[in-house]
Amino acid sequence: MGRQIFLGILGVSAGVLVSAGVFTVLLSVGLVPRFAGKTHTGRHIFLYEEMIVLGTLAGDFLSIFVREKSAGLQEMARLGPVVRAAAPTALSLFGLFAGIFVGCLALAIAEMLDSIPILTRRIGFRHGLGLMVLAVALGKLAGSLLYFIFGIYQTVL
Amino acid sequence: MPKETLYLKLERKVQVQQDEVYLKDLGKFTCRDDKILNRIRAMKILTFQPEKDGGRRVVSVLHLIRLLTEEYPGLDIQNIGETEVVVERVCTPRYKNARQVFKICFVCAICFFGAAFTIMTFHNDISIIKVFDRIYELVAGQKPEGATVLEISYSIGLAVGIIVFFNHIGGRRITRDPTPIEVEMRMYEDQVNNALAETSDREGKTLEVN
Repeated sequence: MGRQIFLGILGVSAGVLVSAGVFTVLLSVGLVPRFAGKTHTGRHIFLYEEMIVLGTLAGDFLSIFVREKSAGLQEMARLGPVVRAAAPTALSLFGLFAGIFVGCLALAIAEMLDSIPILTRRIGFRHGLGLMVLAVALGKLAGSLLYFIFGIYQTVL
Repeated sequence: MPKETLYLKLERKVQVQQDEVYLKDLGKFTCRDDKILNRIRAMKILTFQPEKDGGRRVVSVLHLIRLLTEEYPGLDIQNIGETEVVVERVCTPRYKNARQVFKICFVCAICFFGAAFTIMTFHNDISIIKVFDRIYELVAGQKPEGATVLEISYSIGLAVGIIVFFNHIGGRRITRDPTPIEVEMRMYEDQVNNALAETSDREGKTLEVN
């Protein structure tokens, strides 16, 4: 019993510190203000914050309680046709939105480090910044497709 | 007659609902002489031409000072606010609701799925399950079967951490401080307005003395 309590305290402390660390990174790149600014919905920032909280918890449950997943999967398999019909839609929604988020995050981190202003100053060009951003986006797209199609992910498995 | 002093405090950014912009829209003013104050507050500064200026102009304080001294040569003017003000013509949108709701849902979806994806990849990155298994073995002296207390308490800790960090739960604040994202939002707005004023200045579009 004492050991279980010790493990509990350990877990809570780990969780609190991990959330502080992960969210400081997410926030310091200022993604959510940018989304809100772009869509002129600054008044709903509270809602967006709640979504981040809920999303994190959902992801946490999905990736932490992996040993329990077999029961859940069997349950889903019993629903069969319904799940199979809804799965592509749900998956593509998840993929699309997660992709937008990660894409914004990657460029926001690059921007926070001032890489683009420094580069443009070094090579001294005035026009074509839009083209450069487009090239970065296309490069990310190509890299991501290559990664999945040609199995580059196998290098870490 | 002693020289009157007009203090003006320009805003960084203002939004107007109509095409004519008056001095009173651009900031706050104070003067001992109420008559002068009322007259200058109603001075017209610019008229928006939607097809030409794209609904946004930057007005320099020097332009205002010139207009004011033409009208009141003896007036002493002190600006204690910004030196440029971004004026934005906003239309009250007609199709507000449906489009607004769509945008909000879109951003909500990005935040929700993005956060879920980020935390999953983070857990994957650090191989959290292996670490938890090892810790459990070290402390409890046996291999874990099913969900352990470590995983449950970690999830609780994660939730507590985020809620304390974001400082609100279910739309209600825990303390009266602004939340971190609200702070970020204000900083972002400031940076955008500064960039607008700078760009307009560089392109020579600011309403300025020549």
